[in-house]
Amino acid sequence: MNDLKVFWRGIFDENPIFRLLLGMCPALAVSIAAGHGFGMGLAATAVLVASNILISLMRRVIPDSIRIPCYIVVIATFVTMVDLVMAAFVPALHEVLGIFIPLIVVNCIILQRAEAFAAKNGVWRSTLDGLGMGVGFTLALVLVSSIREILGSGTLFGIEVLWFWQSFEPMRIMVSPPGAFIVLGLLIGLINFLSMRKA
Amino acid sequence: MARTFVGGVHPPYRKGKTCFLPIERLSAPKTVVIPLLQHIGGINAPLVAVGERVFFGQKIGDSDAPIACPVHASVSGRVIALEKRAHPNGREVLSVVIENDYADEVHPSVEPKNMDDMSPADLLQWIREAGIVGMGGGGFPTHAKLTPPAGVTLDAVLLNGAECEPYLTTDHRVMVEWAEDVVLGLRCLMKVTGVKQGYIGVEVNKQDAVAELRRAVASARDIQIVPLAVKYPQGAEQQLIQACLNRRVPKGRRPVHIGVVVNNVHTAQSIAHSLRTGLPCVERVVTVDGASVERPGNVLVRIGTSFADVLTERGLTSEPYKLLSGGPMMGIAMHTPAVPVCKCTSGILALSRAESPATEAMTCVRCAWCIDVCPMLIYPTLIAQYGERGRTEEAEKYGALECHECGACTYVCPSHIPLVQWIRLAKSDIYARRNRG
Amino acid sequence: MEIKKLAVSSSPHLHSQNSVRRAMLWVLAALAPASLFAVYYYGFYVLVLLVAGPVVAVASEALILRLRRKPITAAFDGSAAVTGLLLALNVPAGASWWLVVIGALLAIGIGKQVFGGIGHNPFNPALAARAILVVSWPERMTRWVGPGLVSSATPLAEYRAGNLVPSNFDLFFGFRPGSLGEMSVFLLLVGGITLIYLEIIDWKIPVSFIGTVAFLTWVLPREGQTAFFAGDPIFHVLSGGLILGAFFMATDWTTSPITKRGRVVMGVGAGIITAIIRLYGGLPEGVTFAILIMNACTPLIDRYTLGKSYGSVRGAA
Repeated sequence: MNDLKVFWRGIFDENPIFRLLLGMCPALAVSIAAGHGFGMGLAATAVLVASNILISLMRRVIPDSIRIPCYIVVIATFVTMVDLVMAAFVPALHEVLGIFIPLIVVNCIILQRAEAFAAKNGVWRSTLDGLGMGVGFTLALVLVSSIREILGSGTLFGIEVLWFWQSFEPMRIMVSPPGAFIVLGLLIGLINFLSMRKA
Repeated sequence: MARTFVGGVHPPYRKGKTCFLPIERLSAPKTVVIPLLQHIGGINAPLVAVGERVFFGQKIGDSDAPIACPVHASVSGRVIALEKRAHPNGREVLSVVIENDYADEVHPSVEPKNMDDMSPADLLQWIREAGIVGMGGGGFPTHAKLTPPAGVTLDAVLLNGAECEPYLTTDHRVMVEWAEDVVLGLRCLMKVTGVKQGYIGVEVNKQDAVAELRRAVASARDIQIVPLAVKYPQGAEQQLIQACLNRRVPKGRRPVHIGVVVNNVHTAQSIAHSLRTGLPCVERVVTVDGASVERPGNVLVRIGTSFADVLTERGLTSEPYKLLSGGPMMGIAMHTPAVPVCKCTSGILALSRAESPATEAMTCVRCAWCIDVCPMLIYPTLIAQYGERGRTEEAEKYGALECHECGACTYVCPSHIPLVQWIRLAKSDIYARRNRG
Repeated sequence: MEIKKLAVSSSPHLHSQNSVRRAMLWVLAALAPASLFAVYYYGFYVLVLLVAGPVVAVASEALILRLRRKPITAAFDGSAAVTGLLLALNVPAGASWWLVVIGALLAIGIGKQVFGGIGHNPFNPALAARAILVVSWPERMTRWVGPGLVSSATPLAEYRAGNLVPSNFDLFFGFRPGSLGEMSVFLLLVGGITLIYLEIIDWKIPVSFIGTVAFLTWVLPREGQTAFFAGDPIFHVLSGGLILGAFFMATDWTTSPITKRGRVVMGVGAGIITAIIRLYGGLPEGVTFAILIMNACTPLIDRYTLGKSYGSVRGAA
């Protein structure tokens, strides 16, 4: 597998949200608006890349029997850093995402990449893998949250996008939890349907 | 007030064409094919060889198996073949083929019997020797039904005159025309079993049969005619017992286990006939009907006459779409008209496509009509769905083994799912699994 | 006549005239009187809604079946039309046409086809769609109007507010505001009883559902009151969507229990939920959510209400 493939598969073939169905919890909870989804995605990406690098560096010194606690400590460190950075520089977004930033610690994607990839590969490939997975996660989140924001509020990244449709009335279920399930479910279904056709 | 059971359906009865026609004797065919298996149980060994001359009523096959019943020659003539031939059960069965010499020379052993001179044990032996099996369609050897298992006292003999299958009027005509024989047969069964009370259950759409039976019983108290509601499957053993005696047969048991003996009215008539004449079971009444039949009716046929011979004599107006042995609800579709009439062939139906339309199965919509009509109170759609997927444990849990394949579920299914077919598959899978281990 | 070819198949060789399409056409027919009454009471505009529902439902079912590469004949078995009509009957007369169109799309798309189409949907598609509509556009789905589309409040809302409610006579014959299909109790009963007579639906669900609502609304005190056995069960039975829901939606084949006892459990459960929402909940009406919650319980109900078979008698060994 070449390096480019390592990066790309996180975006398409092994997209964490649509293909691996990992990290569904933040995907469902914070995808009310595209901005939230984007912020969440970036935060997770930062942690993912950083933890992948560090775990890859330390992969020979981490004892096998206690590797999971070690990963968690590494991840938690970066999450705390990201949490504090966001609180300092983007307080509004930090306020909205609330508990879901600390919860990145237990995000399955990050732990899974640490266990399945970073612990067995070099630093360069682990960085690419973390970046690919992070971008894939961010794109998926932006996609889900854009749909929910447009239908549920009539805006995208907070900007009025349906200016041509004055009588539009937002579909409020889209900004409530059931809307997240419906949109995510239909998107996964659509992607499976399209890839089935291709195959 | 007519009595009945829980569940059931009301298919179109279509008995009008034949129910008023008297029984006619069909001419004996040029050759008869007598399968050595015409009952449930072990197959008989042939007692004659090719080329041998046989007499009318001569025993030509018997077996040592605990459940078995001998077969007899239904014509006199020469044995021309002893080979596997198509059987109404769909398989090929070793059969004795006899060329008829039209002499009807009776076997010397044949002589009339007197029931009053015979002990119950003699009568039981005679019922076996005369080759009497359940003529309603089951074909279980009658003598084997009459011995109760240890610890059970028989207390009721039930004659089944319900005849709930559409088209069929065999039992109806037997009751109307030979009511005395039916009652005599019942008395014989009561004597064998030592039971004091006999019942004859008849669906109320056969009022003439009820009247004839009442006349034959006269003022005797030991036989009761039970009017039954017109509903399918009123004639199924379990449902008949529920309607007449308000008892149920436990799962996996037979009626004898609850002290009841059930026999078809035609079986009783055959017992009486064999006693009066000394002739074993060599002929039976068969309803010939269906849109493709030119002259429908009830015919008295020699056992071993092929369906083709019967249809040739009664005439065909068009090529039938389906040829059934038995009634349309439980009968078996024949792949060839070369099959012989057996002791349990109650009807020969040559149906047109319009009478028995082919339907395409769709998804189950959970309407639960199959559950509502099931006389065994089981869950046909669940058994079928689990059976289809090979999940025998669930199929068994929902009652697969209690199903007696009456077809009521398939009849009502709005999605036209062949439920009975799937249930049969589930049952055979369950038995296969048991035998494995 | 020579016999050349014989068809061989498993018994039985007779089949009743029953089909899903036939049953669905009967359901449509049973809903027709109540639907026509809505047209008579509110005016021609309502007819547009009542036609739009089934048409969009059937069209979207055909489209989705096409995409799934299934025979699209299944779209015309009548079940989609029933779903569409029920959806239209579940919106208020003042609803915009697009509510019905989107609702019918949601009913077939999200309520039915995503689960695999007819026979596989866990929730009543029309009610699932109605629930989505209520959550999405709450003010539009509760914009009740009287004849001539003058805005008004439903009897249940008036009751909750402690205001005067229509007479039982008006409620029974349908001269009151409400969703299109819940107006005339009388005509709904005519249709529902016809379906029971034809054995298309089981009487157990409507009887236990309505009976439970009547009993509980009679026994239990309204919110803010303390007197027991002082309720108005007749008013509760006649108002809201109870009759429509109990006869035509709780009895939906696919989403209701298949066991006989299970159907009673379903009716009683839906009745309890409806009564509690009406008396103490945040909404004036609870039939939709009561039925949807019981739909979710249906597999469980089936599992625990299996009846005894014929052969399960004492002495069975």
